[in-house]
Amino acid sequence: MLRSLLALRQIAQRTISTASRRQFENKVPEKQKLFQEDNGIPVHLKGGIADALLYRATMILTVGGTAYSMYQLAVASFPKKQG
Amino acid sequence: MTHQTHSYHMVNPSPWPLTGALSAFLMTSGLIMWFHFNSLILLALSLLTNTLTMYQWWRDIVRESTFQGHHTPTVQKGLRYGMILFILSEALFFMGFFWAFYHSSLAPTPELGGSWPPTGIRPLNPLEVPLLNTSVLLASGVSITWAHHSLMEGNRKHTLQALLITIMLGLYFTLLQASEYYEASFTISDGIYGSTFFVATGFHGLHVIIGSTFLIVCFMRQLTFHFTSNHHFGFEAAAWYWHFVDVVWLFLYISIYWWGS
Repeated sequence: MLRSLLALRQIAQRTISTASRRQFENKVPEKQKLFQEDNGIPVHLKGGIADALLYRATMILTVGGTAYSMYQLAVASFPKKQG
Repeated sequence: MTHQTHSYHMVNPSPWPLTGALSAFLMTSGLIMWFHFNSLILLALSLLTNTLTMYQWWRDIVRESTFQGHHTPTVQKGLRYGMILFILSEALFFMGFFWAFYHSSLAPTPELGGSWPPTGIRPLNPLEVPLLNTSVLLASGVSITWAHHSLMEGNRKHTLQALLITIMLGLYFTLLQASEYYEASFTISDGIYGSTFFVATGFHGLHVIIGSTFLIVCFMRQLTFHFTSNHHFGFEAAAWYWHFVDVVWLFLYISIYWWGS
């Protein structure tokens, strides 16, 4: 009787503590498996499709921005004469 | 299947140095467009691309270390050297502004009324908010040390609590300082007093924000189980940086706020 009471107490404690712990489970082993897969993909793209999208967006913005600044430089280099 | 016979990390080819350099170019061009041609688009673009670069570059470093295991003791030693040298370079950066302050304040010119603070300047009372700010940063130095010891002892809950306290104190400092900036009776354009005060404390405030951001990243990494009790260099780097920010404040407080009033 006492043993089953103790067991019940343990289960109740365990349930409560895992419920709060369920917020942050250790997902590092999964990540380690994903990023150590021997697929030849470089680390900056290895996380999945989101990586590729973010990379493309960054590159388009930086290269596009550089082209725009070159254009502005050209415009600024030939000022309109006034009066 | 070839594998390396040394303990260094040969990184995968990465686009982030290029995008970082381009974003820096956009930043300088953006400043020119803002100052001279009243256009903010390039500057805004530069801040966005700079943030994107930093996020992805550091994300990749987390992947290389925590997920791929490339940060051997040899690699970590190099990172330690790197962080120390970086902080040293920052110390020299601040020394320049302290030089400017002492140059102007030790021998105040007749134009200033021959005195420091200059005639007409009402400096902030060092025993009010500036003193509170000092205690806030000193306390945050204590809490981050508690966080580190908790981390080394494997106490997850205490590490998170202490890190959170440190971050809150950093945010509190920033809010207090922002309020001081708003309330001060002098501005950056009030002669050399205003220039030295706001440039020195302004750069310090920026470093507090950077340090707080670094600590928040550490908090999130601790939440997601990245750190172990004996391998957590990212946290140590953040702690070193935070102590550096604290020390700079102490010099600012003593020189500009206290002696300079």
